[in-house]
Amino acid sequence: MSDRISRRAALVGAGAGLAMVAAPHVARAQAATLKITTWGGKWGDVMKGEVLPAFEREFKCKVEADQAFPFLPKLAASPTSAPLYDVLHTNSNEQWSALDQGLVMDKLTVREVPNIKDVYPYAVSDRIVGVSIFTSAIGLGYRTDKGLAPPTSWKDLADPKLAGVRGAYQIPVNSLGQSHLLLLGQLYGKGYQDLDAAYKALEALKPIKMVDFTGQMEKMILSGEVTMAVIHDSGILRYEGQNQPTEFAAPREGVLSLEQVLNVTPGSKVKELAFAFCDYMLRPDVQKKLAEAVWYSPANKTVSLDKKYADRLFITPEKVATLIQTDWKWYNARKDAIDARVARIMRA
Amino acid sequence: MSAARSVYLTANVAILIFLIAPLAVIAIFALNPTPYIQFPPVGVTWRWFQKFWASPEFTNSLVLSLEVAFAVVVLSMAIGGAAAIGLERGRLPGARLVTALFLTPLMLPAILTGLAMFQLLLSFGIGRPVWALVLGHTVVAVPYVIRTTLAVLSEFDRRVEEAAAVLGATPTRVFAEVTLPLIRPGVFAGGVFAFITSFDQFPISLFLVTPGHETLPVVMFNYMKFDLDGTIAAASMVSILLAVGVVFIIDRLVGLRATVAI
Repeated sequence: MSDRISRRAALVGAGAGLAMVAAPHVARAQAATLKITTWGGKWGDVMKGEVLPAFEREFKCKVEADQAFPFLPKLAASPTSAPLYDVLHTNSNEQWSALDQGLVMDKLTVREVPNIKDVYPYAVSDRIVGVSIFTSAIGLGYRTDKGLAPPTSWKDLADPKLAGVRGAYQIPVNSLGQSHLLLLGQLYGKGYQDLDAAYKALEALKPIKMVDFTGQMEKMILSGEVTMAVIHDSGILRYEGQNQPTEFAAPREGVLSLEQVLNVTPGSKVKELAFAFCDYMLRPDVQKKLAEAVWYSPANKTVSLDKKYADRLFITPEKVATLIQTDWKWYNARKDAIDARVARIMRA
Repeated sequence: MSAARSVYLTANVAILIFLIAPLAVIAIFALNPTPYIQFPPVGVTWRWFQKFWASPEFTNSLVLSLEVAFAVVVLSMAIGGAAAIGLERGRLPGARLVTALFLTPLMLPAILTGLAMFQLLLSFGIGRPVWALVLGHTVVAVPYVIRTTLAVLSEFDRRVEEAAAVLGATPTRVFAEVTLPLIRPGVFAGGVFAFITSFDQFPISLFLVTPGHETLPVVMFNYMKFDLDGTIAAASMVSILLAVGVVFIIDRLVGLRATVAI
């Protein structure tokens, strides 16, 4: 018998060695991967630090959470049979655009997501594609150190004293600005679809400071650059306990709903896992953790929040009844024309 | 001092202030304790820098941005330098067209290049590996190297190469010991642009980064949407200092004068 190693033996040995080295990777590759979109900031910290690792452990999977915008164009550019995401988390307006392009399912039901049985009706209303897991209330944020009476109506934003120090959003790119525009139609005209009245009211709000992101608006209120602005409650409440002279007011006409919506892509290869994730995000313990971290109102009505949060967030039937949901299907169908008209108004 | 000289000096100072003022604002924001821009500043703090360095998201993205940028510099100098020599010396049919093609990425909006690359990668089932990000950045960095190298080559005295050849140097030796050292300022100047282009690249990265592997500009953009505080300014200061550092290193390596002369 020769002491020399034959070529075949060497190949077998090398193959076995490679297999040993690769084994953990192969094992990992076999675990399902769920691709989702998610927000950054504090929300992202809690998701990546606690919520997603717990989900991975329970469902023995790996979650890839994309925080890099823009989600919708990236999803649209990927093949529908192999979508970039399995679960799309966006605000409601983008879900409607996604539905128009066939990128998400039209409805999620109790059959796929059992915890839907416990959500407030707004979370699965006909204004929602998918399921809303949280909402914020869009109202008026204001400085308490400028001698202003706390606003009680949306019309208080038009107070002449606020000329140049009131704030809102770039309507073409921000859904808060878009829903506020429709609200102006309701406040000053015949209804949410009265765009002429809305344009006129928007013009009357000038001079007004417009920003792209809610994060910018938060800082403008904090720095005193604006005295009153359209903003979601969490953008003010998150500074609670930091001695900031800012407050949130829910106007008597109602607050606009800024929903955090989850939906599943039809071409997902791990659809069951995607449904399980939506269900997981509606679990009371997960809802409580996130709600108290970022001051979002949970959609699951069985969630019990600590008093500090319960007092301020929209978790009672009475408060939830004041939420105004925007008809995004109607809005998106007219978006280009609205953008053009708004651009003319703001340029003038 | 003549009136013309005074106007000239005033204009220069004004331009300098115009260029430096944004950096000063960033520095003030980065060192100001308040989580928003406030003037005059209410104090000095390092908390935003500490927050930046304590955040794995920021530091990992900074490391990735640097790794990608260095890879892009190497690739674009190799590709751009070789392409420039070929275009200048190769007597290629349609050389002008090829030059224009090489420069196309500069003319297209980078966001379109990013989207096109993203679709291409996904349609071939490749996904978005880091090398694709490097490739995407290289596509827009190569034209800078080509332009700066072509500028050097157009001033190149070919008699130096001929002299080396007459003295017995092989073509390879002529290239390595005569041509390369002479075009080095052009290639390195392009490399500086390539570094800056890649390190600051946002529109292409937006489509080519993957979860957990985002570059610094993408992380900064996402952060700004939710937490617009001094950390962004601190991140900007770090970026600026790094860019200045690279220019300094280039100066040490080849001399900034030679680079600026192009």
